[in-house]
Amino acid sequence: MSMVPARPTGEPRWLRWLLITLALLFLGLNLALPLAAVFVEGLRKGVAAYAAAITAPDALSALKLTLTVAAIAVPLNIVIGLAASWAIAKFDFRFKSVLVTLIDLPFSVSPVVSGLIYVLLFGLQGCFGAALREHDIQVIFAVPGLVLATIFITFPFVARELIPLMEEQGREEEEAALSLGASGLSTFWHVTLPNVRWGLLYGVLLCNARAMGEFGAVSVVSGHIRGRTNTLPLHIEILYNEYNFAAAFAVASLLAGLALVTLVLKSLLEWRFAGQLAGRGH
Amino acid sequence: MSVTATAVIKRFGGFTALDGISLAAREGEFLALLGPSGSGKTTLLRILAGLEFPDAGSISIGGIDMSDRPARDRQVGFVFQQYALFRHMTVADNIGFGLTVRPRATRPARAEIDRRVAELLELVQLPALGGRYPAQLSGGQRQRVALARALAVEPRLLLLDEPFGALDAKVRKDLRRWLRAVHDRTGLTSVFVTHDQEEALDLADRVVVMDHGRIEQIDTPEQVWERPATAFVCDFLGGANRVAAQAVGGQIDITGVRLSNRAPAMPDGPAKAFIRPHEFMLAAPGAAGIAVVLRRILRTGAQAALETEAGDGSVIEVSIAAPPDGLAPGAALVLVPQTVRAYPA
Repeated sequence: MSMVPARPTGEPRWLRWLLITLALLFLGLNLALPLAAVFVEGLRKGVAAYAAAITAPDALSALKLTLTVAAIAVPLNIVIGLAASWAIAKFDFRFKSVLVTLIDLPFSVSPVVSGLIYVLLFGLQGCFGAALREHDIQVIFAVPGLVLATIFITFPFVARELIPLMEEQGREEEEAALSLGASGLSTFWHVTLPNVRWGLLYGVLLCNARAMGEFGAVSVVSGHIRGRTNTLPLHIEILYNEYNFAAAFAVASLLAGLALVTLVLKSLLEWRFAGQLAGRGH
Repeated sequence: MSVTATAVIKRFGGFTALDGISLAAREGEFLALLGPSGSGKTTLLRILAGLEFPDAGSISIGGIDMSDRPARDRQVGFVFQQYALFRHMTVADNIGFGLTVRPRATRPARAEIDRRVAELLELVQLPALGGRYPAQLSGGQRQRVALARALAVEPRLLLLDEPFGALDAKVRKDLRRWLRAVHDRTGLTSVFVTHDQEEALDLADRVVVMDHGRIEQIDTPEQVWERPATAFVCDFLGGANRVAAQAVGGQIDITGVRLSNRAPAMPDGPAKAFIRPHEFMLAAPGAAGIAVVLRRILRTGAQAALETEAGDGSVIEVSIAAPPDGLAPGAALVLVPQTVRAYPA
């Protein structure tokens, strides 16, 4: 064990090993172990019970609902997030800082409060409650409410990822494109968007993970109608509260599986486009 | 194509970047906008390009008013100091961009675009680098790609914003000679911004010296160097020593030495006089001239630079071919100015 660092900027070897071990230990205890526990607990009563839990009609309908909500909320947030960050990073206008603050709002407000806002707006006693009932439109305790709450909660992910990136890249490439005769739209399509695609992908993954996993806000607007308005996280809670631990963990492993699939997808994309990433220089 | 700016005013909040600028570049002319940072030269260039719009005044290119036209309609090539290459595109795609994004009706065929790109890569002397990404090029190579990209759309006017600002001294010099050669070959009217007086005087047909959003002088490099119109221009061109003087009967009196004024005539009274380092002769104490004490001798190649201190504590730089034998720091000398440019104080 040498006390002399190999490089002037390096730490002694023992310190490096100590820090790496500490980090791994921490990650193992806080991330790997709970994740493993979910799968182990789910399989405690055997594979048959596990299969039965995740193929139960209520579980399948919760899975379908979760995927539906994410499939609507994520694309919408991509479009809105891109538009917001484009406007903020590439243009100057009054009240820009107000817009930036509004984008952060969902992060600072408790999810339960976010859910309540929608109940107060669209619920029977809410502002638009009477009007909605007249036209026989149900928002709260139905899919539209779930989608609205999820969009609100997951809105900052794409924009927060893109604004600093776009601001760092500046406006010169766009100006160059304009001076070369490109229209605003083709400048966005050929210059701005490709420059932020990796940041965008990352934002989308975070957005998607949260959209599928959101509990608080969704719990308030859902009404917990089995087979109709239960998403996976809500279904897991119900199973758990009914002391059906094995089933709860089995469904939880399904949700964890979805998250893992997203991660693998991201790694695959990075691997596939490694050349382009290298060509970009950073 | 000729380009004209008439009474252009531009403000950013409370700051006046351009305060009534009028200038004209003739067809095929190479014009330099020279000034310190904050003088408004880059703002003027961006207004010519349509990347900014003036608060008042007008811009015309080829005799047609362009004041309200956005950048994409002006057919102006713009080269940025930091290159602004599209980082996710290859060099060839960068150069071909302006042609590729044209509407279908006016867009050349793919083969024609490729041919044009190859031709431009040849012109900027990078024929083998079409497949590289900008991050894989040196600064000088990137700037040449940026120039090729601007030329690809056959602009009517070429604008360059401190094109060599981010490059090292050797590359700068090579690239600026090369740029002048490209300009002479294409015959394109060009305007470039620089804060480096040597670059401006070396490269341009005419130099526009700017300060605080105003034009101080527009002239050929010889005229700007020989007859600076204002004290600012004379000072900014660099190197000149500033000494106190008096204008008397059309002549300039510097501590007893009387010289005719190389600058525009000024009324009698106190004057700001500028004397360049090579415009002094050395004399022994007692002669008429500026009495100084020698502080340091620096050999700079063929010349020697003497750093001297006058009685009032001001430092005067003198450049001579060879210092007299036995001259050492601490020696008392008299500097006799040979020429002077003086302006009202």
